Amino acid sequence: MASTYDFAEGGTSIRDALRALKNASIPGDEPGSSIVTAAGPALELTPADTTPPRLEPVTPIEQQTNSTRSVGEPVVAFAAFLDGIQTSHAYYAEGNSTPIVHGTVAAVIRQRVNRTLHTWRSVPLISHAFHAPVALLTPRLVARFHAANIPIEDTLEPGDAPDERHPMELLALARNAVQRRREALEIALAESWTDSEKEPLFIDGGISAAGRASQSEFSVGVVKSHRTLYAAGDSLKVITGLDEGARTTAFEIRPKYRSPVASWYLRLRDARGRDPFFGLVRVEVARASFTSERADEVSRWILAERSPVSLPDKRWSTMAYGIRDCEEYLRALV
Amino acid sequence: MSILGRVVATERKPNTPHEFHFWTALDSPVGIGTIVKVVSAQPVSGALPVVYGVVVEGFGYTDVETPLHEVLGYDGEPGGDLGAPTRRTEIRLYSAAVLRHVPEEPLQPVSMGTVHLASDEDVAVALRMDGYLTPGANTGIPVGLYRSGATASPVYLDADFLLGPEAAHLNISGVSGLATKTSAVEWLLASIFAHFPEKKGRVAAVCFNVKGPDLCFLDQPAAKLDDADRALYERLDVPAEPFKDVEYYAPYTAKGYALNTLRSNEALAHNVKPLTWGLREVLQYAEVLLNKDDVDAKADALIDFIKERVVDQEFTDPKYLTSAHRVQSFGELERWFRDLLGGMEKQNAESWRTHHVATIRKVRNRLTNISTRCRGLVTDDGTVSDLPFGEFRDRAVYVVDVANLEADAQDLIFSRIVSQLREHLEKRDLGVEHVIVFVDELNKYAPSDGPDTYVRAMLLDIAERGRYLGLVLFAAQQFRSQVHRRVVGNSGTALFGRMDPDELATPGYATLSPATRTKLSTLEKGQLLVRHPHFSQPVFVRFPRPAVLSGREGVERFPQAPEQTLEEAITRALRALDNTVTLEWVKDAVALAEEEEVLRARNRTLQAKPEDVKAYFRAQLKRRVRSEATGNPPRQPLKKSPTDDPYGF
Repeated sequence: MASTYDFAEGGTSIRDALRALKNASIPGDEPGSSIVTAAGPALELTPADTTPPRLEPVTPIEQQTNSTRSVGEPVVAFAAFLDGIQTSHAYYAEGNSTPIVHGTVAAVIRQRVNRTLHTWRSVPLISHAFHAPVALLTPRLVARFHAANIPIEDTLEPGDAPDERHPMELLALARNAVQRRREALEIALAESWTDSEKEPLFIDGGISAAGRASQSEFSVGVVKSHRTLYAAGDSLKVITGLDEGARTTAFEIRPKYRSPVASWYLRLRDARGRDPFFGLVRVEVARASFTSERADEVSRWILAERSPVSLPDKRWSTMAYGIRDCEEYLRALV
Repeated sequence: MSILGRVVATERKPNTPHEFHFWTALDSPVGIGTIVKVVSAQPVSGALPVVYGVVVEGFGYTDVETPLHEVLGYDGEPGGDLGAPTRRTEIRLYSAAVLRHVPEEPLQPVSMGTVHLASDEDVAVALRMDGYLTPGANTGIPVGLYRSGATASPVYLDADFLLGPEAAHLNISGVSGLATKTSAVEWLLASIFAHFPEKKGRVAAVCFNVKGPDLCFLDQPAAKLDDADRALYERLDVPAEPFKDVEYYAPYTAKGYALNTLRSNEALAHNVKPLTWGLREVLQYAEVLLNKDDVDAKADALIDFIKERVVDQEFTDPKYLTSAHRVQSFGELERWFRDLLGGMEKQNAESWRTHHVATIRKVRNRLTNISTRCRGLVTDDGTVSDLPFGEFRDRAVYVVDVANLEADAQDLIFSRIVSQLREHLEKRDLGVEHVIVFVDELNKYAPSDGPDTYVRAMLLDIAERGRYLGLVLFAAQQFRSQVHRRVVGNSGTALFGRMDPDELATPGYATLSPATRTKLSTLEKGQLLVRHPHFSQPVFVRFPRPAVLSGREGVERFPQAPEQTLEEAITRALRALDNTVTLEWVKDAVALAEEEEVLRARNRTLQAKPEDVKAYFRAQLKRRVRSEATGNPPRQPLKKSPTDDPYGF
């Protein structure tokens, strides 16, 4: 995916974009005048207004529900790792509280060859864009964006009333838009992989939204966060009491507008003396290809990725080193 | 030209005009001492600057933030988790010292760009060798081969900066026992003889062999010279053969029969010559041997008087001397002293020509003692056998073997030979225009501390002014820090073999990076770090094993001659002039002569090199008539006394 804007000079950074905006010539406006000013650190560094943690009932797809089983010795099988990052900053036009968010998103597959990670097909996907509620911007500012040949992605849905809103709400809309763009890149990469390669791909996060890749036997999603726990009643105790190298019985997740997936919890590291989510991941594979044996097999693959440890990342107990490598790689570029 | 790495600069590690940093792949052939070329990405004045550098430091690290994380990753078990499916991200980061900017101006910090291994041409440009390797004006002297990856580029020294007049002198440092210092000099002399431009004049070398048999077999081919060495010779265009023109000089042993050298095997005797001096030669350098605390101003005045007014001329003093004296040898000087002191005693005189009798006795004691202290070198009879001053040959090596001599005699030999070289070079009548003087153990002759000796003063003089004359000092020592700083400071070129870590910790090596110092302390045989005026930074080179027989192998192949009788020694000495001389003939010729007389006759014969050796030698011996047996005269029988007449006689 190409960036959403590109200049003749070749620059695509936010500074290049701001310079282009500043130099854009529009009737009745002085070129060179200040257009937008930066406001604070990256949005990803500020707490997001996330949905509250919740328990979600599930449909078991294995017999002996609410039990655990040891998956066996780790086996190295993943050929590549997929992850993406995003970074966004808010800007404000002079005298206007409507945030204009510049978001950069990137995704990469790092392929493992001879125990060393390389960028698959030698290129990551990187995209830059401005996000704003266009109806709330001044016509002069919109004109300046047009003159500078910089598109703005509208954060308001068609039909939304262009009323004044709380700036924080507008920021959240923009932030979600950036996230969707990042997910789009990840999906595009995942589909490219499963369309062309015949080896397992370790995907950071769930795969139910991964389009064709969500149906591929070569896609394995590993979810590290547990704001939504697919458990209720006794099954919660089963999850939090998992031993190292053991998994729960699998269940089906069938979200709206997304593909159904088979999922189970897996304990990567010994959590004795630690919080109940230490080393706990949730695995997603295509529903169609699920069997109990496959769940054990995939679990063994994931266990093999506990080493090397992805320290100093704070999520090291659940993060595969290949995923950390993807993030570090992308941070160096973005 | 493949890309080896990329320049990187951070606020913590910024690039400067003299240093830059770059990263490479883990398997890149970069190491300490590698010469690299940076092609900048940012044009300056319309051109992309090119920067050449030599790697002086290397860093490697992973994405682990602290060692504790690594320990945690292995659960505290160093041997555990060997099957990790992914290698940690690891980086190789190098620091390079800038050798050259092209263009030279404006001098800016090294900008971002791609890093490449230097090719042959790049090495020439980086080391500024392109300035003196131009066709028609090539003054390059190969010093070794720079190697990195697939690159193997000859490195040349500039003859104008090695042998003068621009700069001169060479200093070699290295630990003992690895044959680096001597081997490097032997190799470099061969290289100079092969490449020194003829239009720059003739060049010869005088080497002082100060220990063991190191330089005793320069004219003999090496026992082992493998294919790699031969390839180096070929690449550097130097013939892999021993020196063609070598002469050896050594004093006699104290006994005076044989020469005091480890090159005493008869098979090698053809170019070994005695080094002997008489009174005149020694007196010029008396201060080398006389302790300044011992010889005060009064004694000095008397020695000057003797040098100016007594030696080599008719000297008379009817009041004190019984006869006229012509002093030309230590023996005659002793007779002169004896006559003078006898005359003074007779007349009960306390002084003679303002010199007190005690001073005269003291000077007599010190001067006549020289011939004892330097026995074998100094002759009582004044016979002189010396280096061929005035007839030095182009590309010849003159080895003076002083390895077995006392320190005093070594000092005397060194001082006189170097002074003679200097005098002849000043007069332009030495026979060559450039002389390389090689001295090992420089920290002994020119120490950084200790008393100010004649030898040290002379070495300082050569170091500071020799290049104008063509007198070039090649000096070697184990500890450069212990050599007088003016001597090493004036050496335009410096070579370093494997160095002692303690020595490397001295301030003189502070300009070298820690990695370069570490490499120096573990350097292989045959490798050198070269510093030269044209090189902005020192570079590592590899040189071939010398194509001459090493001292250790030489003494095995040519064992020392057994101790000889007087007759055998004379036979051997005279056979160098006339191979018809036999031991039987010598025995017959010297049968009646005193030992001292025989040795004197030998010395004179060797000095004169007559056509008829036998006749000349016999003529030097006093004529003696063999005693003949004579019959006893008939005895007269005693008269018998009468038995009966006691008075009857």
